[in-house]
Amino acid sequence: MLGPQSAKPSLRAVMDRLQVTGPVVSITAGWRDSEGELDDLRKDVGCPVEDLGIYQRAEAIFAQEPELLALHRERQDKLLELQQLYRIRLNAAMAAARKLLRTNGQADLLRLEQRAAIAQVRALDRHHVRRIAAIHRDFNQRLAGITVPTAREQREAVHRQARAAGLVLISGGHVAVLLNRIRLFRLEPLLAVKPIIAWSAGAMVLGDRIVLFHDNAPQGRRDAEVLDAGLGIVEGLVPLPHARDRLDWSSRTRMALFSRRFAPSRCVTLDGGSQIHFADGRVTSAIGCSVMLRTGRKRKWVPR
Amino acid sequence: MNPTVEALYRDGAPDGAQIDRFIKDNEFPLVEPGHVTFIYRGAADEVYLRRWISGLSTAQPLQALEGSDLWALTMELPERSRFEYKLEVIQGGVRRMIVDPLNGVLAHDPFGANSVCQGFGYERPAWSLEDPEASHGTLDSLSLTSRAFGEQREVQVYLPARFRRSRTYPLLVVHDGQDYLRYADFGTVLDNLIHRLEIPAMVVAFTQAHARLAEYTGDPRHARFIGGDLVPAMATRLPLIGDRAGRGLMGASLGAVATLHAASEYPDLFGQLLLQSGSFAFSDLGHHKKGPVFDPVVRFVNHFRAKPHAVAEKIYMSCGVYESLIYENRSLLPLLQAQGMQVHYEEVRDAHNWENWRDRLRQGLTWSFPGPLWMVYE
Repeated sequence: MLGPQSAKPSLRAVMDRLQVTGPVVSITAGWRDSEGELDDLRKDVGCPVEDLGIYQRAEAIFAQEPELLALHRERQDKLLELQQLYRIRLNAAMAAARKLLRTNGQADLLRLEQRAAIAQVRALDRHHVRRIAAIHRDFNQRLAGITVPTAREQREAVHRQARAAGLVLISGGHVAVLLNRIRLFRLEPLLAVKPIIAWSAGAMVLGDRIVLFHDNAPQGRRDAEVLDAGLGIVEGLVPLPHARDRLDWSSRTRMALFSRRFAPSRCVTLDGGSQIHFADGRVTSAIGCSVMLRTGRKRKWVPR
Repeated sequence: MNPTVEALYRDGAPDGAQIDRFIKDNEFPLVEPGHVTFIYRGAADEVYLRRWISGLSTAQPLQALEGSDLWALTMELPERSRFEYKLEVIQGGVRRMIVDPLNGVLAHDPFGANSVCQGFGYERPAWSLEDPEASHGTLDSLSLTSRAFGEQREVQVYLPARFRRSRTYPLLVVHDGQDYLRYADFGTVLDNLIHRLEIPAMVVAFTQAHARLAEYTGDPRHARFIGGDLVPAMATRLPLIGDRAGRGLMGASLGAVATLHAASEYPDLFGQLLLQSGSFAFSDLGHHKKGPVFDPVVRFVNHFRAKPHAVAEKIYMSCGVYESLIYENRSLLPLLQAQGMQVHYEEVRDAHNWENWRDRLRQGLTWSFPGPLWMVYE
């Protein structure tokens, strides 16, 4: 897992370490309309790269398969609405937890109330992931009941290409689109057994839970939200790309709540130059990463 | 006195060449923290600064500077303020209202152009300027039959770059659309904010009234045009998000009145309203003094104040503190909040003009329609 590649590309160095055998393929669906524009990427890695093209393939499938498009839209509408409902509850729960973390009072009384408030947020996050999973299940069941020949053909073509790959690169970009397209093409089992280098949004989807965050957005700060379960290829980790710019580290309470909310998972920064190495679902080492502490501070991360 | 002018007069009255150099070497008006100095050069009997700032006199005299053809006026101006003005030059009994010949910064509106005074620290937002990296959306005319008005109406429809029929888009309907495009660079702002992922790719319908003073002042035909003609026509032609959360309505000045009025007639239609410097005139007691054009506005706002109700999920409101309308907008704010709507209210050191409304577009649009920036990690 790498930090953003635009300012400090580290792909080449990491690839050299991996000693790749076999073709290199990329998943750049997160770039949406710019998917497959690989000139810079090829320059960075110094070898041929072919893109799986799952974003554009999906667009072509939707154009050919109106039933699938209708199902897809229905699911997306439900997910959007569910996210809005989750946000209503989350805002209230987070406001209460934050207020309690900022309150002074008798330590023994306060500590229990703070814990309970954070536990409520954690329960809400878990509930949200379960509700999302139910929507996906319903989609998959209904999809199994319709005939979608174009989708099947395209999926088989993508699987053939992915199976032959010696390395899969997963770029950053729109994390929800990236996750959606990986799932639409049922690439999860293939990715689970392939060497992968993923950066930014690509790294986010590899975790077991995808957490959205931006404290400096133009419309004002929002509380971090769980988007969905990730692919679960790396466990116990919440990767935070662009953490330096996107998180307000000056607000100790805010960061403390962030950290405690997602514990025991580690909230780890992925800025330019950062690397997290993993094998068999576990993190083995890290370079240039910080871990968010329950105090709201951060320190250099040395995984154990 | 402004230090630059003081320096010019350090050794007595300057000669013509010194004044030429002074004019050439400086930008006007002369701006310093907390103050601004207006300079006029030319023969005149009297020169006035004419500006429309609530609470201040509309005309302030410039003083003739001794031994020269220069006139000057220094006034207080808080940092990052902006207002529009003209100079009134009186000579031989003839009065002329002119833009400031020494100030190249102009703001345009349907009535012409005004000079713009930008206080210390003001900068035009970068997102309102053409960005070569941003892809352009398209603007096309849509002609639709309005049952409300019993005639054809033209609407300019903005489709975002890379528009696709396989996706669904939010819809924003804009009053005084042509003016927003021309004087507030709305098209450029949309291209840029979409490019920056700060708002989602969206469809925008720019409407223009045929008889603004009638249609935008609480005219039920106008509300039916928006709610009964335009929105359904857009929905049948384009892939739009089907619920109110995906729809917004906006306007400035009387356009904001038309927005609130249409939304109050169709309270379930729009999730977002953007109200800029709304002319929400009302009277608590007695008759208002704003002239007969405002009679229907006052009737509508009085009625709304008497029987307020939720008209959207979110409302973005903005008003300049140099506008007389600041009173009406501040009065409306708690009323809207009390209906359970989310209201984001912004006051700025600016006045009733298109550039004020342009400068607020980012805050208003990103708050009303947050973009995918939240989801994008490059």
